[in-house]
Amino acid sequence: MKKILIIDTKAGNLFSLKAAIERLGFAVTILDKPNDETFDGVVIPGQGRFGTVLKNIRENKWDVFLESARQINLPILGICVGMQVFFEASEEDSNVAGLSWFKGKAKALDFPKKPMVGWAKLDSEMWSDSVVYFVNSYAIKQSDLSIAETCYGETFCAAIKKDNFIGVQFHPEKSSEAGSEIIRQALSLSGAAK
Amino acid sequence: MNQIVKNQRVKSQGVKELSPTSSLMPRIIVCLDVDKGRVVKGTNFKQLRDMGDPVELALAYEQQGADELVFLDISASNENRPTALKLVTDIASHLSIPFTVGGGLKKLDDVKAFLDAGADKVALNTTAVLQPEIINQTAKAYGSQCVVVAIDVNKKDDGTLGVYINGGRRLMENDFFSWSNEVAERGAGEILLTAMHKDGTGTGFDAELTRQVSEQVNVQVIASGGAKNEQHFLDAFQQGADACLAAGMFHSGEYSVGQVKQYLKQAGLNIRT
Repeated sequence: MKKILIIDTKAGNLFSLKAAIERLGFAVTILDKPNDETFDGVVIPGQGRFGTVLKNIRENKWDVFLESARQINLPILGICVGMQVFFEASEEDSNVAGLSWFKGKAKALDFPKKPMVGWAKLDSEMWSDSVVYFVNSYAIKQSDLSIAETCYGETFCAAIKKDNFIGVQFHPEKSSEAGSEIIRQALSLSGAAK
Repeated sequence: MNQIVKNQRVKSQGVKELSPTSSLMPRIIVCLDVDKGRVVKGTNFKQLRDMGDPVELALAYEQQGADELVFLDISASNENRPTALKLVTDIASHLSIPFTVGGGLKKLDDVKAFLDAGADKVALNTTAVLQPEIINQTAKAYGSQCVVVAIDVNKKDDGTLGVYINGGRRLMENDFFSWSNEVAERGAGEILLTAMHKDGTGTGFDAELTRQVSEQVNVQVIASGGAKNEQHFLDAFQQGADACLAAGMFHSGEYSVGQVKQYLKQAGLNIRT
């Protein structure tokens, strides 16, 4: 059975996420600090603020762990703020630097009603017509790595992919069967890095 | 509606157009009343072994296509607190759509306990009116997306609108529209607007009131109270409700969520089916 690590950034409960991954037949381990175990995939959950999640990541040396995971081409799934931290910055906490794996910055959504809450259809070749659940006030507006977009006042990047990294702005663990399928695909990536 | 927002998006090449300003779909939310770990108020799911089991019912509604669930009074009594928290964790571990818990959350510690147990959101009603600061505190600690403020509104004797607490039994002095604005400013992520003058009438949501609040307040508005058929949902969504909540018409088995959604889809709404 494949072993999946959920990084506990201490920003919220992980029951739904753990259960969603387990339902797919993976074994799940939740850790708040890296240890010596090996895993077949890593998930960074989508709760908390940009600044506090990054503070936790750096204090516990998860940034070092994630960099090695990338080197060995491990599937990595970043959800919501857990995707945004891999970009350069966010308007949510503009004094905190992101991990800067990818170019771009999370910006406030330009729509009167905030946060964006609810289900929206993805404009995506990979996940054509999937309807998933969004809860966010910030988003990456544009990225060369975008594989799905949706619209809230303006089009923004709903998902990105780079090698074995998938980042999603929505919450697949709250997106019923459509979300489950996206988690399965993300954690089953095995293509070699380009 | 004065809510039309200029479409400022820049399209990348080769991507097909989505709807002009928001891809969000109108949501249907099913409300379940829970007491001592059991769903109360008649539900009529013949296919279920145990119709009082909140987890089984929740999954049945997810299957029907419910977009979200609300569990009310799950936390009402202190003696049952550990049972209630365990139930919330059970629901979180089985359900893969969002859910809200509400009723009896009297202080920030209660709110924290239920969010930490796995609830996606809490609904605050009486406590929000009596201690509005709890809205700010919850939003600060967990984010606005976790805070639904439930407002029970009813027509007063003079015909104007009043804000009620304690399950509709006590009229407060709050001006209804000022209170709606205040909860959004304090950090509510959504407003659950229950029109008590419609509740139980089966004459439909107060779509006009929902429209007024929805236009005035910069958070999503969930219409509640009065739904009896699919037309009532269409009316409320066309007037600007972001979501509609109902209980009885689904519990009775008269309608499934899927049936209502099919109707809305045929009427041209952008619906998750």
